Amino acid sequence: MATARPVLCPSCGAHVMKNGYCSQCGMNLYVLKKAYNTSNYYYNLAYDKACARDLSGAVDFLLLSLRYNKKNVRSRNLIGLIYYEMGEVVKALAHWIMSANYKPEKNLAVRYLKALRKDPERLDAVDRIARKFNMALAYAESENYDLAIMQLKSAISDNPHFVQGYLLLSLLYIHAGNYEKARVALRRVLKIDKANPLALHYLREMGTSDEIIIRMRSESIENDGLLSDVLLSEEGREDDQLSVKKPEKKKPIFQEIKAKKNENVVRTGDYSQISLAKYSGLYVFVGLVLGVLLFYFIVMPGQTRKQKSENESMVKSYSEELSDKNAKISEQESEIERLKGELENKELAIATAGDAAMPDYSDVRGGMSDEDLEKMVETE
Amino acid sequence: MINFEEELARFSPIPEVNQTQDAIYNNDLKDLSDIVSQVTAELLAKEPVSNSVVRR
Repeated sequence: MATARPVLCPSCGAHVMKNGYCSQCGMNLYVLKKAYNTSNYYYNLAYDKACARDLSGAVDFLLLSLRYNKKNVRSRNLIGLIYYEMGEVVKALAHWIMSANYKPEKNLAVRYLKALRKDPERLDAVDRIARKFNMALAYAESENYDLAIMQLKSAISDNPHFVQGYLLLSLLYIHAGNYEKARVALRRVLKIDKANPLALHYLREMGTSDEIIIRMRSESIENDGLLSDVLLSEEGREDDQLSVKKPEKKKPIFQEIKAKKNENVVRTGDYSQISLAKYSGLYVFVGLVLGVLLFYFIVMPGQTRKQKSENESMVKSYSEELSDKNAKISEQESEIERLKGELENKELAIATAGDAAMPDYSDVRGGMSDEDLEKMVETE
Repeated sequence: MINFEEELARFSPIPEVNQTQDAIYNNDLKDLSDIVSQVTAELLAKEPVSNSVVRR
């Protein structure tokens, strides 16, 4: 009989007693399980929000999820991913490092950290952006608004997904009374984070109608950020099995920031215009094939049926004619037989009648001369 | 209307990469298990009775 495996406390690793309490830390296992389930529930909500690009909402739910279970690796990974997308790389790094610490194997955070370590230039850029933002904040606090705007513009050009930069820039524009430029910056924020509460608050304060806000929120952002659909699908829901992709299947997770700088670059690829002219040959071929199939499956059966019925009627008429001819031939043959029989009878009758009428030559002697024979024939 | 000073106060400096370690150590997040452990420890300290009595 197999012995039951001892239940270990997820909190401290000690044995759990039969009454459901940990023998070392005194933790109630039932409470802990409920907490972990709640953490996963909030993770799922956050995942749905992140898929809908409501990044602020997703962050709120993920923080709640971590309140229930700070070792929830998936929540840590996703919140790091969202912070990275919003340009707050150090926060992202902190969460990924903690995630990798809680689970060193089969963890997406390890992959993200490796990718970052391989690219020291990117980390330099992150540092540069953080410095520029901090300087801009200091300038704004010391009422050097023009310098602050310059620094923020430079930071945003380095990372076009830098949400905090856009928000501070829009605030400075609003303060300067330049609402149009503020709207442009906030529009970009809503492209990245569709329900950013601060951006929505600024837009409403500027008197932007809900219709325009909704239109801004419906604008899609290019999938050039870390938070691409591929990576979100890798994160997956909590119910799914954790599957770490093989290294050779990795997608590049960092966009080329320089490529994004150039607004005039004509993007090609999935969303480029497709010329249908190159498929004209294919269309002709498909048309031909369809024509042939139509002929074989619709026209040909009718023709075959008609031909078959004609042949059957012809065979029938010929067979009737043949049977008539055969009947006639058999009738003729029987007539011939009958006539032959009659002829034989007649010949027989003639032969018997001829024998009776013949003269009696019995008394004729053998020594008859030729003259006597001629005389006898003449008399006959 | 937007109060510029209030809104500006919402923004805080962004940590640089060399401050990641500080960001990790400062992220002293207490989850439910920490709180339950703390409460249990406090109860045990307040009433030094046998574990079985507390757990009942």
